[in-house]
Amino acid sequence: MKPAPPTVAALFGRPTPAKQAERGVFWVLRLSTYFVLCCAAFIFWDIGTKGGAVIFRPSAPFINIPFLTEAPETLNVFAFRGQKLILGDRQFRAFKAQHAAELKNVRIETYVYSAGGIFPNIAGTVLLVAGSILIALVLGVLSAIYLSEYAVDGPFVRFLRLSIVNLAGVPSIVYGLFGFGMFVIAFDFGVSLLAGWLTLAFMVLPIIITASEEALKAVPRGYREGSLALGATKLQAIVTNVLPYALPGILTSSVLSIARVAGETAPIMFTAAFVVRDELPWQVREWTDFFFQGVMALPYHIYVVASKIPQNEYTRDVQYGTAFVFLFTVAAIAMTAVILRQRLRRKYKW
Amino acid sequence: MSAVTDIPHAVRRPTREILLRRKRGWFFGLRGERVAQTVFQGNALISILVLALITFTIFRDAVGFIPMNRQNLEIYRRAGLELADMLRGQVTDHSTMSRYLATLRQQEADRLIHRQGQTAAQAQAQLAAFDDFATRFADTIAAHETILGTMTELCSGLKERYTVAEDMRQAKLNLLNGLRSAPPGRALRLKQQAEAMQIEVIDFKAEVAPLLALRPEVFAANATLAAELSRLAAALPPASDPDLQRKLARLPGFVTRYLAAVEATAQRMAAWDQGKPVGAVEAFNAFAFGRKWITASFWQDWYGIIPLLTGSLLIACLALLIAIPFGVAAALYVNQVARPLEQKIIKPYIEFISAIPSVVLGFFGIAMFGETLRRVSQSPWLDWVPGFPMLERLTAGTAAALLALMAIPTIFSLAEDAINNVPRSFKEASLALGATRLQTMIRITVPAALSGIMAAILLGFGRVVGETMVVLLCAGNRIEIPDLSAGFGVVFQPVHTMTGIIAQEMGEVVRNSIHYRALFMVGVVLFLLSLLVNWLAQKIVRRYRISIG
Repeated sequence: MKPAPPTVAALFGRPTPAKQAERGVFWVLRLSTYFVLCCAAFIFWDIGTKGGAVIFRPSAPFINIPFLTEAPETLNVFAFRGQKLILGDRQFRAFKAQHAAELKNVRIETYVYSAGGIFPNIAGTVLLVAGSILIALVLGVLSAIYLSEYAVDGPFVRFLRLSIVNLAGVPSIVYGLFGFGMFVIAFDFGVSLLAGWLTLAFMVLPIIITASEEALKAVPRGYREGSLALGATKLQAIVTNVLPYALPGILTSSVLSIARVAGETAPIMFTAAFVVRDELPWQVREWTDFFFQGVMALPYHIYVVASKIPQNEYTRDVQYGTAFVFLFTVAAIAMTAVILRQRLRRKYKW
Repeated sequence: MSAVTDIPHAVRRPTREILLRRKRGWFFGLRGERVAQTVFQGNALISILVLALITFTIFRDAVGFIPMNRQNLEIYRRAGLELADMLRGQVTDHSTMSRYLATLRQQEADRLIHRQGQTAAQAQAQLAAFDDFATRFADTIAAHETILGTMTELCSGLKERYTVAEDMRQAKLNLLNGLRSAPPGRALRLKQQAEAMQIEVIDFKAEVAPLLALRPEVFAANATLAAELSRLAAALPPASDPDLQRKLARLPGFVTRYLAAVEATAQRMAAWDQGKPVGAVEAFNAFAFGRKWITASFWQDWYGIIPLLTGSLLIACLALLIAIPFGVAAALYVNQVARPLEQKIIKPYIEFISAIPSVVLGFFGIAMFGETLRRVSQSPWLDWVPGFPMLERLTAGTAAALLALMAIPTIFSLAEDAINNVPRSFKEASLALGATRLQTMIRITVPAALSGIMAAILLGFGRVVGETMVVLLCAGNRIEIPDLSAGFGVVFQPVHTMTGIIAQEMGEVVRNSIHYRALFMVGVVLFLLSLLVNWLAQKIVRRYRISIG
């Protein structure tokens, strides 16, 4: 056996008090960091297991397809011939037509939205997110190009930056009030997709501008100068030599803002979201109606089922199932953003 | 080249001029480059525009609140509700004292039955003198209660009639407006209809006269009340328990203070002037310093922001109290202590936490966290914690703990940035002098990054104050000023917040009503608060930025 290599402790005898304090404090820091991580992990675990039990099935097709493809229904619970029956509204009506006489004196407990699925909510959220991100990306990237390529420091640009910073700090409910006062009432869009798109787009605009500007600034000066030296105009230089290299960065950051838009509830509460609506978004009479319809949305549905119906064994499924679908969709989007960003950092090193 | 030689008479421009010649006029006389720049600049302008529009929209709807609240308060005064409320305050204070007596009796009965093992009948007999005293004490206010009942009836009837008259006036106005565009036959009918409407003109001065006539009765009752109370306070019932005796001995003090308050109220009632106008400042103060937020009440609506503001601030401060240590500790750990592999995992993970949607956190609070917290609080060995066992599932503490989890990523990433920006040379100089890593961290790195950490905390505060869904779902939504006298127990009281009230009530209010505008006022307060936080954060960063050089 070789003798152990001399350590600090071996060289200096006992560790000094300062060293001991250091170790203690570092452990405190370490534990508090891991405590935070554990708290978050617990939330994922709780919703993941309870919601996963609703979404996944032990047998083929392994996924609760009706939950993902049907509209929310009212759940009816009642005792019938000594048995407890739990039926969704459509089934219940058919059942009632058959056994009308027997059901007369039976007490029926009903729970709204607790049967069926959440398909219209998923569709509504996808539409809301897609539209608002499209608007925000166009506006945001063009603004960022101005800020990074054209802007010369002056009162205008300084004021611009100040507005962007302040916009980023405005609470989302204030955006909701703004969207309500402006689009729903002043422009008379009503509670509609369009109002929701604009409200959400303006809400993420500052994030997209800041991130895009960063991505544009990260492209080395040499790329622009090379292009300009060959006789390209400024616009040509931007289009051919700056944007292509900044695009991955811009897209990555916009993925993160997708997660933000999808996760927000307050701005769409009074601008775009309906508690319940029978038609799906594409079932409209004229194509213009498409923009002026309210939609059901996942986050709002979670709010409704969490606060407006009691918590019990019958309503748990829809609550945890919806939360599961929503949380893990948003988490997947965020995860994509985080991974993309790390890969990007490795790929482009100038 | 050939073109020049073939046409010798053509005027040849200097090469320089050809090269620099502007290709003009393909779009309003602008070149493509200029157009592009204008488009980009115009787009950038949108941010300013949006900020301006937000300001404009919420202020426009909020500003109407002041005159409407002024009218609201004016009716309150002119219909005499204010006078009735003065008397009501007096009666309420009296019943507080009666409740104090009832509590004492409850405690004493408990003691007799559970500690001394007496039967209910024995305890009843022993407490007979006390009960007699309590009944006589409660009876002293009976005369006032009768007068108050009469007053309430008078005032609310008067207000009701006024509201009906106002509604009719509005209806008549609508009819007359419709008259202009209606065809002649219909117009005639409308006109008759409008003329047939009898709108009662209420003479408040005359109507309130019976109310004022009740004032001498009140004063007379006051005199009896004072005499009775003083007599009762001098003859306290006997108490066998020293604790009860001590508590009973406080009653005369309460009575003296109460009588002084009665005297003051009587003076205010005597000086009460129905015609005193309500100023805009008073209407604004009723909002900014109002301690009641009561809507859709039959008696009087109050729109005071204080309960909501204190609720918001209480939750935000609690959340920060939890989030600051954890956020800063995590930032320090990741940046200074952690190994590269840990860094690579923890940083994206915490960023990932910030992507948890707030409504999911709120749902988690309702479905899981709130109930768990209450169960834990009911375990007997936690009784020493003030406020435990928790009475409610959803409280300020529940919401704050969840909000802390939202604020930690914000504080973490900004603080980590700030720590990362401390120049290496600072750290190296300290280490070279023989300081340990801990000493370097506490004496050098943290002070150098302090401005950034402060800004991170402020922005975390902004995030927490503006958060809606978690507080809406988990804060308990009781509109009351948190009772700070409960000490630490204040953490476990349900509160309501500014963001929560907007989200909860906005969907149900009548457009352009006073309630609607009051909610926009709350929005304005939130907006200004967020601007203030942002401004402070920037100021701190700019002022204390360390210069390297």
